[in-house]
Amino acid sequence: MITNNKEPLLEVKDLKTYFFTENGIVKAVDGVGFKVYQGEILGLVGESGCGKSVTAFSIMKLLDYPGKTVGGEILFKGENLLRKTDAEMRKIRGKDIAMIFQEPMTALNPVLTVGFQISEALLMHFKISKDEAIKKTIELLKKVGIPMPEQRINEYPHQLSGGMRQRVMIAMAMSCDPILLIADEPTTALDVTIQAQILDLMSTLLREFKGSLIMITHDLGVIAEIADRIAIMYAGKIVEYANKRTIFYSPLHPYTFGLLTSIPRLDIEMKRLNVIPGIVPNPLHFPEGCKFNPRCRFMTNRCKEEEPQLIQVEEGHLVRCWNIDKVAEEVKKELLVGECEYK
Amino acid sequence: MIDSLLKVDNLVKYFPIKKGVFRRTVGWIKAVDDVSFEVYEGETLGLVGESGCGKTTTALTILRLEEPTKGQVIFDGRDIVKMKKSEMRKERKNMQIIFQDPYSSLDPRMKIKDIIAEGILTHNLLNHQERYKRVGELLEKVGIPAENMDSFPHEFSGGQRQRIGIARALALEPKIIMCDEAVSALDVSIRSQIINLLKDLQKEFNLTYLFIAHDLSVIKYISDRVVVMYLGKIVEIADKKELFTNTMHPYTQALISAVPVPNPDYKKERIILQGDVPSPANPPKGCRFHPRCFKVMEICSKIEPKLIEIKEKHFCACHLYNEK
Repeated sequence: MITNNKEPLLEVKDLKTYFFTENGIVKAVDGVGFKVYQGEILGLVGESGCGKSVTAFSIMKLLDYPGKTVGGEILFKGENLLRKTDAEMRKIRGKDIAMIFQEPMTALNPVLTVGFQISEALLMHFKISKDEAIKKTIELLKKVGIPMPEQRINEYPHQLSGGMRQRVMIAMAMSCDPILLIADEPTTALDVTIQAQILDLMSTLLREFKGSLIMITHDLGVIAEIADRIAIMYAGKIVEYANKRTIFYSPLHPYTFGLLTSIPRLDIEMKRLNVIPGIVPNPLHFPEGCKFNPRCRFMTNRCKEEEPQLIQVEEGHLVRCWNIDKVAEEVKKELLVGECEYK
Repeated sequence: MIDSLLKVDNLVKYFPIKKGVFRRTVGWIKAVDDVSFEVYEGETLGLVGESGCGKTTTALTILRLEEPTKGQVIFDGRDIVKMKKSEMRKERKNMQIIFQDPYSSLDPRMKIKDIIAEGILTHNLLNHQERYKRVGELLEKVGIPAENMDSFPHEFSGGQRQRIGIARALALEPKIIMCDEAVSALDVSIRSQIINLLKDLQKEFNLTYLFIAHDLSVIKYISDRVVVMYLGKIVEIADKKELFTNTMHPYTQALISAVPVPNPDYKKERIILQGDVPSPANPPKGCRFHPRCFKVMEICSKIEPKLIEIKEKHFCACHLYNEK
């Protein structure tokens, strides 16, 4: 699915989004860059506070005070979104780029019917009558698997279950046939069986729309299933960027490696979980040098002094680390892969 | 396996639904409906199910933080449901709980040393000096430097707070600890720290865990035996390995197949269940899973299957296995 020879649909270059708080400047996103091609699914992975959601909000230009994008470029079909006016952004948002939020209960307006909320975008972006918009809304709800859509359009969000609400969110995002979809932890609030339904629905719809998706999640399982390419974020920066197989089989950043060996999983029997010691650093006081160095088992003096750059180690595999060789050795020894003991 | 430390027999917990000016009871939420299982000494029993299946209510009812509607809970040979309040308070010394949310489960106005020492004080076990010495030991045990004992909860991160919650549960040297989604709210890198800590403590103090979680990967890693619940009922109980290799109940099969595995080449057939979990106020007739079941038969909507031992130590409540 990955096509390298074409122009990327979205290219984020050296994005910097800072929050100017009373206590100081929080560099939530500090020099993030990636490309998304047509039809591709990019997974943006990291723990809470690593800046993955802020990246998404920066692309959509939905940041609230005190957050501000202070540098970089967001090229969407070759045009820099950061230079667009609010009015121009409104035409793009929802139509070309749409977003699915994590918490469907807070993302939907509780005092408006779901039908109204979905048809709102349609009426705004297309010249169609109300009746046509409602007809299209019913079609959309049918497509995302909501039974009896004719009645559901007159219901309010609280009358729907969590899974149903997330389906409504997806219908809303898909309503204007966007070519880029950003999903911010779309299944985190859901139960596993419902999560399976929603992931299944999303991949079916994506295949149909031939659109691209940026999937933001902390769940490596979800990412293994859905993504083509993966960017691992830590403390506002991308620390590793590669295609899915490379990330899971031959990671080169200690953080990626640590994450992969610290999760309990169904496919292999694990004796003892690996541990990444310590905690995510406070964004007001990031450590000097490599931001991961206080938690890193491969740490050397250089890591404390000098911050590594994101360097291409092979075609399409970028890593931000000084000790790639040592990590590679350990990965070979320790990373368990693929023997499916339980079927 | 030795004797059972905890035996839950036909445990029932209904919550009334009240309506109108006079708060008349118009129905019942059948949160836990006739649940029986045993927990053996020194083991970790995993209790898994989706939200609303009654797993937390089960734990709270066992501790009598919620009064059971019916049923028996035999702990250490005595039925704690029949105990007086004062007796029960003493018995809780042996049964502790770790909660899901490390933010709301610690009193923000208490120093952590007082949070941890509260149980020791209530049960009048140690004098002032010994008490705080013990708190210091407990903190070191869970990986927090003892000199931080005068701090308040807000000074700690989520993972550290969960460690404080664990120290509090350990303070009275309990026999059993209920871990109610104790690692669910934590980030990936912190979660493995806490899971390893719980395992180490279990070995050191010979603890018994009732480990409640919705995440099957965690359950598979930490449990010895697993209980699967659906809508207030137990659908399957088995040893961990047996449950994952020889899954019987269609719901358990669907649940396992739905878990995303962090392995790009892990091929499996995913069973996608249709619809949502029904409301426990009005559960379906017959087998509660039948409206979503992919192996549904005629009998399923009429007669409720009983939980029976189909293989040695493998219990399942499904009509598929009843004919034999």
